[in-house]
Amino acid sequence: MKKILLSVVLSVPLWVFGQGFQVNLQGQKQIGMAGAGSALALDEASVFYNPGAVSFLEKNSISAGVNPLLFKSAFKQTGSNITENVKNKIAPPFEAYAVWGPKSNKWKLGLGVYTPFGGLVDWGNDWSGRYALTSLNLKAIYFQPTLSVKITENIGIGAGFVYNHGEVNLQRALPVNYPDGRSGHATLEGTGSGYGWNAGLYIKTQSNITFAVVHKSKVITKLEGGSATFDVPESLRGAFPAGNTFNAELPLPSTTSLGIGVPLSKNTVLAFDASWVQWHIYQDLTFDYAINTPQLTDRPSERNYRDGSSFKLGINHQASEKLALRAGVGYAFSPVQDGYVTPEAPDADRYILSAGVGYAPTRHFELNASFFFEDVKSRQQKNKETGLDGTFKTLVYAPGLSLTYKW
Amino acid sequence: MVGDINMKKIIFNSLVAATILFVASCKPEIETPAATTAGTANFSKYIAIGNSLTSGYADGGLYLEGQKVAYPNLLAAQMATVGGGSFTSPFFSDSQPNGSGYASLTALTNGSPTISQVTTGTAYVGAGKLAKYSGEIQNLGIPGMRLDLAFDPTFTFSAANMFFERLLTDAQVGKVNYAAYIQGRNHTFFSLWLGNNDVLGYALNGGVTTDATTVLTEKATFSFLYTNMLNILTAGGQKGVVATIPDVTAVPYFNTVMPAALLAAAKAINPAAAAIYIRTGAGAVRVATSEDLIRLPFQTAGLLGTGSIPYGLHPLNPIANNWVLDKDEVAKVKDYVNSYNSTIKSLANNKGLAIADTYTYFNTVKAGINVQGVNINAAFITGGAFSLDGIHLTPRGNAVIANVFVDAINTKYGSTIPNIDITKYRGVKFPDSK
Repeated sequence: MKKILLSVVLSVPLWVFGQGFQVNLQGQKQIGMAGAGSALALDEASVFYNPGAVSFLEKNSISAGVNPLLFKSAFKQTGSNITENVKNKIAPPFEAYAVWGPKSNKWKLGLGVYTPFGGLVDWGNDWSGRYALTSLNLKAIYFQPTLSVKITENIGIGAGFVYNHGEVNLQRALPVNYPDGRSGHATLEGTGSGYGWNAGLYIKTQSNITFAVVHKSKVITKLEGGSATFDVPESLRGAFPAGNTFNAELPLPSTTSLGIGVPLSKNTVLAFDASWVQWHIYQDLTFDYAINTPQLTDRPSERNYRDGSSFKLGINHQASEKLALRAGVGYAFSPVQDGYVTPEAPDADRYILSAGVGYAPTRHFELNASFFFEDVKSRQQKNKETGLDGTFKTLVYAPGLSLTYKW
Repeated sequence: MVGDINMKKIIFNSLVAATILFVASCKPEIETPAATTAGTANFSKYIAIGNSLTSGYADGGLYLEGQKVAYPNLLAAQMATVGGGSFTSPFFSDSQPNGSGYASLTALTNGSPTISQVTTGTAYVGAGKLAKYSGEIQNLGIPGMRLDLAFDPTFTFSAANMFFERLLTDAQVGKVNYAAYIQGRNHTFFSLWLGNNDVLGYALNGGVTTDATTVLTEKATFSFLYTNMLNILTAGGQKGVVATIPDVTAVPYFNTVMPAALLAAAKAINPAAAAIYIRTGAGAVRVATSEDLIRLPFQTAGLLGTGSIPYGLHPLNPIANNWVLDKDEVAKVKDYVNSYNSTIKSLANNKGLAIADTYTYFNTVKAGINVQGVNINAAFITGGAFSLDGIHLTPRGNAVIANVFVDAINTKYGSTIPNIDITKYRGVKFPDSK
């Protein structure tokens, strides 16, 4: 069966992946519920959603999942009659979790590896915004060892240390022309790392209503010694020296979430999450070049993000012993202010719709699938820095699948 | 039971796969105004009246690549989506693509350009004579054309200007002026960007009048002739767009060679150099200030510091009047440009024509502007808008200006001519060797 799905995955080259930085895909069950679930001790993905809930998980488990993300963004210059689309690329976000603790003990250990931020946007080298950006490939992979403790029968706390491995490849065309008329090209590529933490509190009341408070810290990811390659006519080489390098800092924001879980019946639970994403730390993107020239300065490129937020409501219904059904809706407010929308993250407020299904063929195995859809609102913008003037519209489709082994 | 599980999985997976296939075909849509329209205008036969800017002249010459990206040609291509017809231009042939020849940047050493003349592949059939072009022409831009000479009563300009002569039959040469030549073309729409040379001819000669092409056209004459021109072009009730005259001081030709930079260069060779001296239009000799504009070609003229009394560095051997548009001449030129422009706007408004305010736009470019990710400014070579002659536009500059026309036309006539993607057009070509 997996082969069938895999072959479909590989045979559909129309797929694209990429998104304005934040990737809301960290656990198949929660994805099926629009990303809500911090107040539910659903499964090992609580390592991400709420480390405090991990100690309330009944079983030890290990799981891995993938969510090929179709990021379909379109752009139309103001006054133009031509709509341009991003190229089709696949680079699926993934998540893997393990939770273990001696049975009947009050603590559990967890490990999570997931991709909370990233983006792969490839507009191609010929599109009308190419002097602002041709492509961005940004990956942030978080590794999070976690300890969770049930301090009473009703309260769990947990915390994890986060190490981020980041990679970035940013390219754009340069408006200088070769004798044959073609443009120059800049490629900035580097890897970096950063540290942070993720801590949560889980409270289960007498009425079985559950609450969650979770804070995921910011992770300042530092890139050092990245390569800065400029393809320019040789007569301009002095302005764009060969073998140049750069340092940069990409601040990934902290997130504070409040969650509530309400059991509607023995088999049905409702989850609501409100998250506050402290994007305001992303004030500018600055490449500090090793060699500066009048044309190649360390001038910050302003981003001026404000804080973003999201509200997600999900439902999980255990239809039978083996089959679970899920659905969710959500709304997210963009952190990108007017005048700062860029083709690397053509962001706007968005609606979220999701559905999911879980199937447990045996006591030990569980298969979960989800489908996640985001409708990012159409947004006409003129970027203050680049003057790129047009309308972006984005739809995101993310089918996902994960396999869990429990014992 | 096992079969049951497999069946469920197959159904389940098929559903997922079908969903994936479905959504993979769902592209986001960006809504467009319901219909494209010409509004109240009729673009079926568009003619472009003007000078070198209209003809596509660039890099100090008229050649095929420049002709193809002249703003009227870019404009006409966009008009085609709202009912515009074909647009014909007097293109040089593919075997003589370099037309009159043009300047090319062959080296850039520490920011200092070496500019050479392309002399191969030209269309000369004799000294100052280009191969004739015959056939329908809608891009009627003639390099060097002036508003006053468009009404040349002596008809001599038609023979004296090789770009005009090229378009005329032997019978017409010396027998026709521009105002007569452009008539009878059954146009439905026109653009008129004429009058630049009525002030630029004078300015480019450092404020010295030596012949009919360097006269500063009197304000009243300008108004009278512009009225006549508009009457000709609207004789059949046609609609059109007129453009204002850019401030001549907004172009690199007058903003690249700075007295302070000249002095610094002179001091590097002769530390005793104390100041740059110029002879003004009024005949006085004085120290140059940043308000005196020295013409671009002075940079490569090789005059500075030459002679037993070093040229330009001593009051007894100042930079000659024709190299400098001095402060008073700048003021005079600006005054004339302002006067011409108020005439153009007022006449156009009376006739209900669209106005492409290139005067304002060039000033914006002078300050520097970011358009679709491209910084465009009035710096020589690196600014991207101006070609190697420091006056005429690069393909990118033409695209940007064409959009000024598009916006003006759409605003006036309610049409929906789409904007041009300026990123498809180049700036100055840089040599790919050290």
